[in-house]
Amino acid sequence: MIKFKKNNYLYKIYTWLPIIILYLSVLNEFDFNYLNIEYFSFNFPLILIFYFSLKAYLNFDYLLVFFAGLINDTVIGLPLGLSSLSYMIVCIFASYLRNITIRPNLIKDWFYFLFVISLINSINYSVLFIFFSYDLDIMFYIVNNLFTFLLYIPLNFIFKNYYKAVDD
Amino acid sequence: MASSRDDFIIAIRSAFLKKSTKQKFSLLTLVSISIFIIILSSLDFKAVKYLKIGINEIVYRSTFFVSVPENFIKNSYIRIYQYSNFYKDYENKVSELEKFKAENISSEIIKSENKELKELIEDFTLTQNKILAKVIVDHKSPFLKTIIINKGSADNIKIGTNVYDKSYLVGRVIEVNYKSSRVLLLSDLNSNVPISIIPGDIQAIIIGNGDNSGKIKYTKDNLYETIENQSIAYTSGTGSIFKSGIPVGKIKILNQDVYINFYSDFTQLKYVFAEVEPEIKKSPFEDPETEITDQSEKVSLNNTEKIKINLLNEEIEILNDSNSKLIEENKTLNSKTNKLNQQILDLENKVRTQAKKIDQNNIDQKELEFLKLNLIYSSKCQKTVFKKGFKVGTQEYKDCIYRKGKQLND
Repeated sequence: MIKFKKNNYLYKIYTWLPIIILYLSVLNEFDFNYLNIEYFSFNFPLILIFYFSLKAYLNFDYLLVFFAGLINDTVIGLPLGLSSLSYMIVCIFASYLRNITIRPNLIKDWFYFLFVISLINSINYSVLFIFFSYDLDIMFYIVNNLFTFLLYIPLNFIFKNYYKAVDD
Repeated sequence: MASSRDDFIIAIRSAFLKKSTKQKFSLLTLVSISIFIIILSSLDFKAVKYLKIGINEIVYRSTFFVSVPENFIKNSYIRIYQYSNFYKDYENKVSELEKFKAENISSEIIKSENKELKELIEDFTLTQNKILAKVIVDHKSPFLKTIIINKGSADNIKIGTNVYDKSYLVGRVIEVNYKSSRVLLLSDLNSNVPISIIPGDIQAIIIGNGDNSGKIKYTKDNLYETIENQSIAYTSGTGSIFKSGIPVGKIKILNQDVYINFYSDFTQLKYVFAEVEPEIKKSPFEDPETEITDQSEKVSLNNTEKIKINLLNEEIEILNDSNSKLIEENKTLNSKTNKLNQQILDLENKVRTQAKKIDQNNIDQKELEFLKLNLIYSSKCQKTVFKKGFKVGTQEYKDCIYRKGKQLND
């Protein structure tokens, strides 16, 4: 396990890692959402935001998540504010789950996450289709939804280890 | 029952309104701001438009810098792959180059003919007002096939500006910022391009299918059968969205569906050309300041134009090279022709001499035969005191000798 001295700069960067990764994933040309592989894509930011909102991570500022959404919209070319709304909805649902949960259970979180991402993708699809007249491929959303759901568990394992390292 | 409802309300309220230790805004505020921004952007407010342009400028540049490591890895991989296939590629390129050199000359002729014909029908003519633009972001979204280029309204780019990869159509500009713009690729689901298909001159519309190809739609049902595989599609210019006669791709028929494989590979775009409208310059008499502006414009020839000029110079060099080679070939062929002509003349002389010799020989043969016959029959044909005959040396005498000889042979 990695151990840091808590006043170390490296430790400070390490504690900000989720936000840094979030910004890198929205700013980078490479996106797990659009891997150019047929029938495989997943929304990495949604998993990251859901996990760290659920854990009420110290440096996970909602305002920064909101800005990450704006950047994502700009880079991808979606109407400004749509990704921010999606990210904020994820934060709300994660926050609600955190408030009502006494004993956390991974499987329950997992299926709750499926519900959240399905809702977000439905909102995205509806807003783009109805208000902005985008011609969209619904199959992409279904595949994306499925793989985002499936990859929650392995990514959860990675984030858990990170969280543990920071907490220690 | 009531307590569970209370719990639910408390949890909801807490989720929406409660700010944690480090949170500056509640989630409800941020959701409201998001919805507010979406509504404003859908209503197309001027203020939001400028805000968006500002964000775009910053984000596009940041994306470019953030993507540097990724692009470095990607480019390194491509370079290694290219080095491993270097010799094979070189051989192919050499043979291709030879082919293209030959094709280039004929295509130049066709181009000028095409230009003339286009001018005749008052259609769009081929233009040289293309500026080179670098692709700074290529986000490979499956439903939004767009790229971002480093040229914007400052470079005279407008919404609808046609964008090319070499001379092939790539897409059109849908969003313009000051120093960057977004280009909607032909492969996007929202892209519609009116095309003509040859042979047959069939009019159709292609729609991107989200992958790197398009699908033919909106042509007459009975014309579907007439479309041939590997036919060529180019823009028809209908609707004035795209200029006419720009090559788009090749037709591919698959399970009765007609697809189009674009000439350009949209995943490999690094530089593109944007076709800007030329600025109409006023005459110096109309505006005295124009001359000064012209001079400053001339001085501020930016790097892009220099690159373009370099590219054109290279093209000219290649053409000059091929031209000088053709001239050399021509010279060699001329000298060969001269040599062959000389040979022909020599041979003709030889033939003439031999013909003369044969004639002489024939005459000699005839003479010899006459002399032989003369020895035998001279007594029969010669005129004497006692016998009626012919005088020696006359034609009658000769005829008599031949006649006697012939009679004997018979």
